[in-house]
Amino acid sequence: MITFVAFSLRRAWLGFWRNAVMSIAATATMVLMLLLLAGFWIVQAGLLAGLDFVEQKVEIVADLHDTAAPDEIVALVARVQAMPEVDTVTYVSREEALVRFREARTTQGQEDLTRYLETNPLHASIEVGLLDTRDFGLVSERLRGEAAVERVKNIKDLVDRVLTVTDFLRTGGTIVLLVIGFIVLFIVVNTIRLAVVARADEIEVMRLVGASDAFIRWPFVFEGALVGLLGAVIALGVLALAADPLNRFMFDFFRVLPIEVGPLARDLVVVIAGTGVGLGVLGSWISVRTYLIR
Amino acid sequence: MTLVAPANPARRGGRRWFRRRRPAPIVDQAVVVLHDVTKRYPNGKMALVDVDLVIPKGDFVFLVGPSGAGKSTIMRLLIRDELATGGQVVVDGQDVARLSRRQIPRVRRTIGIVFQDFKLLPTKTVQENVAFALEVTGTQHRLIRPQVDRVLALVGLSSVANHVPRQLSGGEQQRTAIARALVHDPKLIIADEPTGNLDPLISWEIIQLLLRINELGVTVMMATHDADVVTALRRRVVALEEGRIIRDEIGGAYHRED
Repeated sequence: MITFVAFSLRRAWLGFWRNAVMSIAATATMVLMLLLLAGFWIVQAGLLAGLDFVEQKVEIVADLHDTAAPDEIVALVARVQAMPEVDTVTYVSREEALVRFREARTTQGQEDLTRYLETNPLHASIEVGLLDTRDFGLVSERLRGEAAVERVKNIKDLVDRVLTVTDFLRTGGTIVLLVIGFIVLFIVVNTIRLAVVARADEIEVMRLVGASDAFIRWPFVFEGALVGLLGAVIALGVLALAADPLNRFMFDFFRVLPIEVGPLARDLVVVIAGTGVGLGVLGSWISVRTYLIR
Repeated sequence: MTLVAPANPARRGGRRWFRRRRPAPIVDQAVVVLHDVTKRYPNGKMALVDVDLVIPKGDFVFLVGPSGAGKSTIMRLLIRDELATGGQVVVDGQDVARLSRRQIPRVRRTIGIVFQDFKLLPTKTVQENVAFALEVTGTQHRLIRPQVDRVLALVGLSSVANHVPRQLSGGEQQRTAIARALVHDPKLIIADEPTGNLDPLISWEIIQLLLRINELGVTVMMATHDADVVTALRRRVVALEEGRIIRDEIGGAYHRED
């Protein structure tokens, strides 16, 4: 068994270097395809983060009766917070609302007219952030039933429209990524097939001298894995080198979006290495199979 | 005194459940038995029709006949590259149609094959080409070198062991192929027009080599169009025409003699 594995690994290594032109062609294709996949993966991650960002902006604003007692409000906030669909609940008092209004006016460069008012005309409110924006209607309805709530701002139509767009983009992104995945699959498998076909003579000699299927197959499978691994390492190296300039270029983008670079990089390493080795093995397996089954 | 039984080559890999299915030898000491063998290719062409052929151990047989008469088909049936559509093909006591996928390579190792176009690997040296046959069949590394040296000495190629095929003459390339065929200590050598690409003088060298191998006890089956060689040697001649054996005589000539 150890002899067999050692033999297969040695033959894979020699096979790779003795057919350098084919191996390099296969590895180059692998690198390009993995970069293509990585590019779309990053775009997809950005898209998803962007869509989450947009959806998180949607919150339910419920104005409260001015007559609502403080302990009534505390109870309400606790009840809303306890709903499974709710992420955050923020209580905005009348004074805070006025401060915010003034700040908004100042930012817009308009005169603050509130100082001519004798009383604060604004209501206290709670702002409810949702875990899933799709629950907007449900939670709004429940809030309307609360005694302390005067009215709930009805922006359901707008929310629905936003959701239609984000859902469409999410599905579209996934489909594009799948299509790219299939393209990568076919191109890589076919390239490796070419490399194997170029060595049909070698396989024929192996069969004629009585090599068992395993002895014919595994060196090619290991060689495919080697091409995949090498391709993945090069592709990741290119990405690592490109990461810094890319980061600077997209700084504003990353500042706005809550995209986490750490997990994305980890995902990329796993996806690229997995895809590279997986496709290398798959391609070799399929290609050698044609010569074994008679 | 050791309790471990000496390795018996016939038992190698032969599992009990499989050995029970092995048929009794039809003819004792026969390396090849074809019984009523018919081969029809998927396109409907009949390559072999009711072929009966018994080749005893140690025989030297010329297979003659025009191209397309079925010589190569017989050889492909023996190495189980193809299956007969009818009849029985028995190699070294085993019915090849009943071999499991795992057993086929083992039977092939008892047969050495030599082709007209040598089928050497161009990037490997003579020595590596021969060693390749042992490496890909899982021979332990330390056993390979002595075996290779032995067969290279037998075919007289020790001095060019480190040359690649491109640097060799046609005769030397064919001798490399013969060395590769011999390295598994086969019971049978199948040579499919081994001199087809060689000039007459070199052809004789190759024939002499095959005769010497035959004298060492290896059965040789050689398909050829070389009438001079066949007629001069007066060995057993099996003539095929349109898939049928039309002549099988010991001490025969290339053409029919009445």
